Amino acid sequence: MDPNVARRLEAVTPEDDDVARFTWPTRLAHWVLAGPFLVLLGSGLTNYFPTLKATQFAGERVFALLHVVTGFAVLAAIVVVVLPLLGRRDARADLGALIRVTIDDYLWLQHLVLTGVGSASVPPRVGKFNAGQKLNALLSAGALAALLGTGVVLGINFFSKAFFSAEFVESVFPLHTWVSLLFIPVLLGHLYLAMVHPSTREALRGMTGGRVRRRWAARHHSAWLAEVELAESARVEVTRS
Amino acid sequence: MTQGPASAAIRLFSRARFLGVIAGGGLLAFLGTRAVASMGSWRINTVERPRPLFDFSTYRLTIDGLVERPLTLTYDELRALPAVRQVSDFHCVEGWGIDDVMWDGVRLQSIIDLARPAARASHITFHSLGATYRDSLSLEQARLPDAMIAYDMDGAPLSPDHGLPLRVVMPRMFGYKGAKWLTRIEFRDVQDTGYWEQRGWKTDAWIPT
Repeated sequence: MDPNVARRLEAVTPEDDDVARFTWPTRLAHWVLAGPFLVLLGSGLTNYFPTLKATQFAGERVFALLHVVTGFAVLAAIVVVVLPLLGRRDARADLGALIRVTIDDYLWLQHLVLTGVGSASVPPRVGKFNAGQKLNALLSAGALAALLGTGVVLGINFFSKAFFSAEFVESVFPLHTWVSLLFIPVLLGHLYLAMVHPSTREALRGMTGGRVRRRWAARHHSAWLAEVELAESARVEVTRS
Repeated sequence: MTQGPASAAIRLFSRARFLGVIAGGGLLAFLGTRAVASMGSWRINTVERPRPLFDFSTYRLTIDGLVERPLTLTYDELRALPAVRQVSDFHCVEGWGIDDVMWDGVRLQSIIDLARPAARASHITFHSLGATYRDSLSLEQARLPDAMIAYDMDGAPLSPDHGLPLRVVMPRMFGYKGAKWLTRIEFRDVQDTGYWEQRGWKTDAWIPT
């Protein structure tokens, strides 16, 4: 067999029976936001710990400066990294699937509630993202936009008091605090399902290495797996012909 | 179980786990509510560690430096000075503020009149009990009609966190100009660079409007 063909066949039928879930653009977009966000959350929460808050190095309040600089870095990362990545087909398709709301999303949430209270319920077939994942994405994007919007004002004010009136800054500050505090439960839920909960944490492999076990995909994203397998078989046909 | 194996497998939450999540969410919501309730109120900032302790019997307010009449006042003598009450807004440089704080105390103008600064005195340095924090004003700034030293806040003596027994109140500037636990008012011929001003904040901390 042509070694090229063999390599491509191998690529679509891996031995460990994984299936490709996220290509690098989607993963990069996720992590370029998620990493700094944790830094922002941690440095922001030092506001509630007076000793940490007062920590200084070389005459600078370490966590305040870290917070503001990281915030501007996220803004830059969105412009320089995330938005250009949306020009890529896979990432755009992922975003499309993430924001598409169907009747199945409603049924999925209903199923979650019914099984939660111990009732029998048949789950709908789930595509690439279930309603919970879509909800998380929506809330995260909303929180990020609100935090960046208010954060720009506070960040500029951090460096120069001449830019905004004190009254304006003081009206923006509580919004920033509110949104971040309300978002913490959402983030904790996301982290729990990605790292702890036994039946969902496989999803994290998709966001790190890009692949998930086929068996897990069959259980949690059966409609998506069917699409992927259809595409796989079509590609194998093309390769063989 | 009436559910088939497929649906049992896809079940995200057992009942116990679901209730656990609800309970955890409730706790978070409670904490969040507490945090939200704390907004719009004072945030206590101090670099004095530990917090300076006020002792009624040993406390003295020293007024010295380039003055004709250096003074040392006990807490009672301080409270016997001509008193004023003012309601003014407080603005912290961090971006939060408190509207309509009621202060009782003494005008800085009264202190200047009492001490009679020498001709070459141009600035005042305010020292905290803990000896770490200090800040300064020009004489001209200290003479502003709303610049004062306050021993009462909102009708009661300052709490320990708010600088018991005495703090500087300078409503037209950011809060870091208002040294807490005030124990010494020193008249000088140069402007002292305050604690935060050594760390980048402006010496003239006028609040932008």
